[in-house]
Formats: sequence, structure tokens, C-alpha cells
Amino acid sequence: MNKWKSVLLPLVIAATVVTGCSGGGNDTSPQSNTQGSSTASPTDSSKTEKTFTALLDNNATFPYSKSWPIWSWLKEKTGVTLEVQTPSGKLEESLNLAIASKAMPDLMYMPNRKESNKFGQQGALVDLMEYMDEMPNLTAWVKQYPEEAKAALSADGKMYMFPNQGFGETNRMIWLYRKDIFDKEGIQAPATYEELHTALKTLKAKYPDSYPLSIRYGQIPDEMNANMTVNYGTGEGAYYDFDKKEWLFGPTEDSYKEMVGMWKIFYDEGLIPPDFLSLQTKQWQDMVSTGKSFVTIDYISRIDFFNNAMQQENPEFNMQFMAPPAGIAGGKQLNPYFHYMEGGLTVASTSKNIDDVMSYMDFFYSEEGRTLSSWGVEGETYVKEGDTIKFKPEYNDVIEMRKQTGLQTSGTYTWIDFGSHLSLFSDNLKYAFEEATKYDPSMMQPRPAFTEKENEIIAITGQAIQKHRDESFAKFVTGSRKLADWDKYVEEMNNLGVDKLLSTYKEAYERVQNIQLNGN
Amino acid sequence: MRKKVHRRPQRHKTGILRTWNKNKALWLLFLPCLLYYLIFRYAPMFGLVVTFKDYNLFKGIWASDWVGLKYYRMFIENPDFWPLMKNTFLLGLYKLFFGFPAPILLAILLNEVRKAAFKRVVQTVSYLPHFISNVIVASMVIMFLSPTGGLINNLLGAIGIGPINFMNEPGLFRGIYVLSEIWQHIGWETIIYLAALTAIDPQLYEAADMDGASRMRKIWHVTLPGISPAIVITLILNIGKVLEIGFEKVFLMQNPAIYDTADIISTYVYRVGMVQGNFSYGASIDLFMGVISLIFIYTANYISRRVSETSLW
Repeated sequence: MNKWKSVLLPLVIAATVVTGCSGGGNDTSPQSNTQGSSTASPTDSSKTEKTFTALLDNNATFPYSKSWPIWSWLKEKTGVTLEVQTPSGKLEESLNLAIASKAMPDLMYMPNRKESNKFGQQGALVDLMEYMDEMPNLTAWVKQYPEEAKAALSADGKMYMFPNQGFGETNRMIWLYRKDIFDKEGIQAPATYEELHTALKTLKAKYPDSYPLSIRYGQIPDEMNANMTVNYGTGEGAYYDFDKKEWLFGPTEDSYKEMVGMWKIFYDEGLIPPDFLSLQTKQWQDMVSTGKSFVTIDYISRIDFFNNAMQQENPEFNMQFMAPPAGIAGGKQLNPYFHYMEGGLTVASTSKNIDDVMSYMDFFYSEEGRTLSSWGVEGETYVKEGDTIKFKPEYNDVIEMRKQTGLQTSGTYTWIDFGSHLSLFSDNLKYAFEEATKYDPSMMQPRPAFTEKENEIIAITGQAIQKHRDESFAKFVTGSRKLADWDKYVEEMNNLGVDKLLSTYKEAYERVQNIQLNGN
Repeated sequence: MRKKVHRRPQRHKTGILRTWNKNKALWLLFLPCLLYYLIFRYAPMFGLVVTFKDYNLFKGIWASDWVGLKYYRMFIENPDFWPLMKNTFLLGLYKLFFGFPAPILLAILLNEVRKAAFKRVVQTVSYLPHFISNVIVASMVIMFLSPTGGLINNLLGAIGIGPINFMNEPGLFRGIYVLSEIWQHIGWETIIYLAALTAIDPQLYEAADMDGASRMRKIWHVTLPGISPAIVITLILNIGKVLEIGFEKVFLMQNPAIYDTADIISTYVYRVGMVQGNFSYGASIDLFMGVISLIFIYTANYISRRVSETSLW
């Protein structure tokens, strides 16, 4: 790492304080003039024009544009214009600078809740709970979706980020398989790892050059661990068992050992690539698209990604959703719960427009706001046919829709109807979404917010444990450590502080559980 | 003061003022450089105070609470401390041992080449990889060494050696890393020695010819002593950098199977300090490493001053 990076930061910050202060002074004075009359109800205030500053994320595929129609639609409904700045580099760095310089924009998009909780606890963000009275729509929403609202809470019982719902669906991960190959060879889609093993062996015998199962473990290890462990009814780290109502630690459980044993068999028999731990995304894509791999685990949108590209030369090519195999016979067939979104909007505590920002944001939790941020405007982007809503035919793909309208880009939504996304997908992908929900875990794993002190434990102890877990998984599977050593490994893990980690999770979880959402 | 100057302009000017008047243009040329170092190199050092504080980004550096040596203790008491130190140290040492002589060797070989065109081609080709980004280099290394269709394994397969899972063997990581570093930077680092070589008086070679010295003799007795000051200086500088191994490349090349040898302090700082947002902790580890590097470079300089004539200061 660049040695001076960490010490350079404060200086840059100091530099921005100077520029930030003078700039901020100029900005806020005209705004406070228009503010005076805007204490009336939301419908009245929609006539008053207001301008907020906002730091939003930017996506290379659909870069921010000032001329997107979404901004004028929002202005029409709320009277608000956003003066948007996008990060010059990484969002996190821009946020750090903005916060340290005390020249924070009114609204800031944070990449995850850990960041927003940290900055919130440090005093940089507004606690939304204090403004619930001014947000009737959000208050009703919180009553309707208490779990989502609770997940948005910080360790101190405050809410620093606007909760979101619906958008996380695209984060789903599923098993994918080449249905055409399976059909051709007369193999059934497996329901358990035993059946999967048999299927892979049959494929390997028919295609000796192939590695029938291939995953990009090296690129997204955390996601892969979650996928593997959920099949075996265990967790990739500390996890909450809803039946037993307690926190458990996955990587030292017997079921985890069984999972490791199965992947070792896959490795030994050449059913997965020998370098699956370091496989690059490009290598993995090549293996899947050239018929060197037939089964994989990845994001749900990969169905279209592979089919669209491959079916042009090979119409037979048919990548489809595969039901997740259960680890043990009679076990549950599950996918991990990934369909939540981490990022969201926050309000700066230094903002001069807090009340106005609140009533603006409240709009997004109304049915009207939800429809607008999911579908756009009737007649312009969508048409109603009876009860069903449909995008107009010129919007035939999600990326294009976003590029042209700015819908569902950073800072333009909190609560959306995922049906709008779904309506633009291919039939295969629609089918996958339909099927995937059948294999959802009953509940989302609780993600309790930690205090700074607890975060430190997780950073140091948790890091050591995670490293040893990853290292040992690699060694057990590749055979440089014998599975007979398992008990010793469990002991090593415990010595690293599994108990400490678990009690940290437990404490944080109980603290969040005890927070009364509506008590204000 | 001003009056005095006016009355007796020449004689009573101080030394500094005289040099200033004399070299005004040069001073002005130097000014940007001085400012650069003051602003970007010296001033940020005050930021190191965050290593003794519980740094709160919103409150700012001065308002954050003092925590003393907490973060240093946290690092040293960490179970991974010794393995991390060992890996960082060994990787740096390997790089020094094998990476340092490589450009010298290439420079001497190039110096012996009499065909200018060939020399130029070799030079260009050897320093081109320096301009490829680490991300690309790391991907290239991983793909070339892949046991599933990688170039190297295909070649090995052709002579009946069979597929080696290079990136999964903790024992091979240091070798692979150092080799890739040499490949990437050899041409670039050669430039300084080639420059030193041009300073050698050709008469020395002619005299050696007269004495009937062979090629090897000339290299040994004329070329090497000729560039030895440059070698010693770069060696001392490199010793100071033993612990400063590029984060990016190691991070991109490592995977859990080779943490044994591939997890170094900078990758640890990234995981704990940056990813988890622990600025104070990350900065204290950095300062800690900086102090050790300073000890290294000081010792090397001391030894060099004692043993040879050349030293940094």
C-alpha cells in the first residue's frame, strides 16, 4: 500500500475545509430564503421550489445525466431539484472527504449500512427516527415492513439510512446449469449433492476434457461461501438459527465438515477445475461458454448473459435455473438470502434543509412515489392494461431504460416494485426469478449493527478467524491438510476467539431486538 | 533594515541575501519543488497523530480522543503478527536477493553488445512491461500458470510434465512473485546502470586491451568498479524498501490456499484498516513499518560507510 496515503488524507481534508467553507456559505444563503414558507403540508410545499445538494453514486453503464427525465418528474411532484455531484473516484473516498471537510451535501448516497452507521454514530448524519412525525408515509411503511426497518437500524437504535425494498432482488444468486447438455445425456437435475456428484461424474466421463462444475470462488469468496454453506444448513461464519433461536458458528460444525468433504471429492475426481480458488472471471466465463463446464453458481442475471451471447452461434445452448441441491439427503434445498440492498440515502446533520429533505424523501414511501420510481410516468414510459402495468415497447431492456430515463439509478428510489425490472427480462430469467423465490430461506439472516467497540472485535478477531477458515478450506479441499485433522482445526478456530465473536453478535442482536420501532 | 540596505547596498548584505540576488532565477525554479515537499511530504506527517487517537472523521483530528499506544498494541498482540512480519520480510528479502542483481546483469550484458540496433530492441522490449498495470500483470500471471489451459502448463504438458497447480502451492508463491517482478521491472531498472556505464572512461578499456585482458577480465576489473557507486547507492535504497512491497500485485495474486506465504502486512492493513474503515489502526501499522524501514536503511548505510567509500550520507 502507498505508505503516505493514510497520512496524506488529513492534509487533503484540510485543504478542502478551506474551499468547502467558502463554497458552502455561498450555497446556503439563497436556499434559506426560500425555506421560510415551506412548513405547510407536502401537497402545498410541492409548489415551493427547493434545491438540495446531493452526493450520488455513479454507474459506468448508465452514467449520471442532468437531463434525465426522472429529475423533472420528481420536481413536478415535490418541487425539488437536486444539485448532484458524483464521486470523482470511489464513492467511499468522496464521502470521507465530504464528511471530514464538514461541507457535506444535504443528501448522501452511502454504499452500505456499516458506513452510514459509523458516520451516524460519529455525528455526521441525521437520525431519521426523530423526524418520523414529519414523514407519514415512511411511518406507515415502517409499520408495514418492520423487518426491513429494523435492519436499517444502527447499534444505538437510531436510523441513519432510508430503508429500501425491492431493489435487492437483482442480487440473488442461484445455481445455473446447461439444460441442453443435461437433456442430451439424459441426466436429471440433481436435488442433493449425492445426485449432483453422480451427475458430474457422468458428465466427466462423457466429456473428459471438462470440469463439469465451475465457480469463480477466487473473485467472490464471501458469496461462494454463503452459497456452499446454505446447502448444508450451516453458515459461513456466525449465523442465527431461527429454530433454535441462538447464534451458532458455521465453520466448526459437523455439517460444514461434510460440505468440505464433498468439495474435496469434487476436487480429487477432477469435477471442479484444480485452480478454482484462483480462477479469474474471464477464465470462468470461457469455461462455461465453451462447454468445459455445465453447472455453476452465480448471479441470477447470468442466465441472460450467457444465453444472449451464446445462442447466436449455438441455438442449442440453454442455460437455465437449477434448483439448489441439498447437502444431505432429506435436507432443505436453499439458496442464500441475498436479495437485499446495502446502499441507501442519508441526510447530513449539518444540512440547513433537514425538514424539507425529510418531506421530500417521504414522497418515495407513498404509492405514488413507488410507482414513479419503479415505472416512471403513465403515457410517457408505461401504459396500463387493466390492472397490469407495462413499459412502452421502446423500453425493452433494463439498462436502456435506465440510460434513457434515469429511473432506478442512484438516489432516485428507495422502495420499488420489482415487477418493473422483471417485465423487461427474458422469459428464461423471469422463470428463474419465479423459481428462485421457492428456495428462499424462511427469514433473512439478522444483520445487527455493531458499536465501534464491537466493530473492532470483528475487525481483528473476526479477520483472524475468517482468514484461518479460508486457508483451511483451501487446504482441506486440495488435500494439503488431511480431513482427519478436523478436530485440531476446530480447536485452532476456537483458540482464535470464536466464543468472543459469537457473543459479540449475540449482544448486538439482542440490543437491536430490544429497540422499539414505534416508540420514537 | 531597508534604509541600511539602501545606504550601503553592496558590502552589508547578508550571505543569504547575496545568494538570493545572485541566483534569483534558480531559487524561483526550485520553489515549486520545495512547496511540493513541504505540502505533500512534510505537512501530512502531522496526520500521523491519528495513530494515537480514536480518529473520528466527522469531529476531525484534533477533537478525536487520545488512545495512546492502543493501536500499536493491537497490532503486536495480533495472532497474525509474526506470520505477517515473516512473510513481508522474506518476500522483500527474496526480491532484494534476486531482483537486485538482475538489472545489473542485463546492463553489463547490454554493454557488451556491439550491435546498436539489437541493443536498442532488447532495451525497449525489456522495459515495456514496466508500463503494464499491476492488475493486468497479475491476471496474466494467473492465466499463464493456470492448470486448465494455461500457457506454461501446456508447454510443460508437451514435455510430459504434468499440470502443476502453481497458484495453489504456498511454496511457489515467493518465486512466482519475484520472477514476475523481475520480468516487469528489469528493463526499467537497467536504465540507471546503463547511464553509469557511459561515464566509464573508454581509455580504461583500451588500456586493458593493451594488457591483453579478456572480456571477463574487463568486466570484472573495469566495468564493475566503474558502476559500483551506483550499485551501492541503489542497494542501500532498496534495503530501505524491503518491507515496502507493492500491495496491489500481492493482493491480486493471493488466494486462501497460499495465505501461508502470500499474506503480507499491506494486504492485512487493507483488509482490516481500509475495508473495515479503521484508519487509526491502518495508519499505526504503516508508521510502525516506516520506523523499521528507517532502521534498515540506516544500518545498511552505516555498514556501507564503514566497508566502502560510498554511502548515502
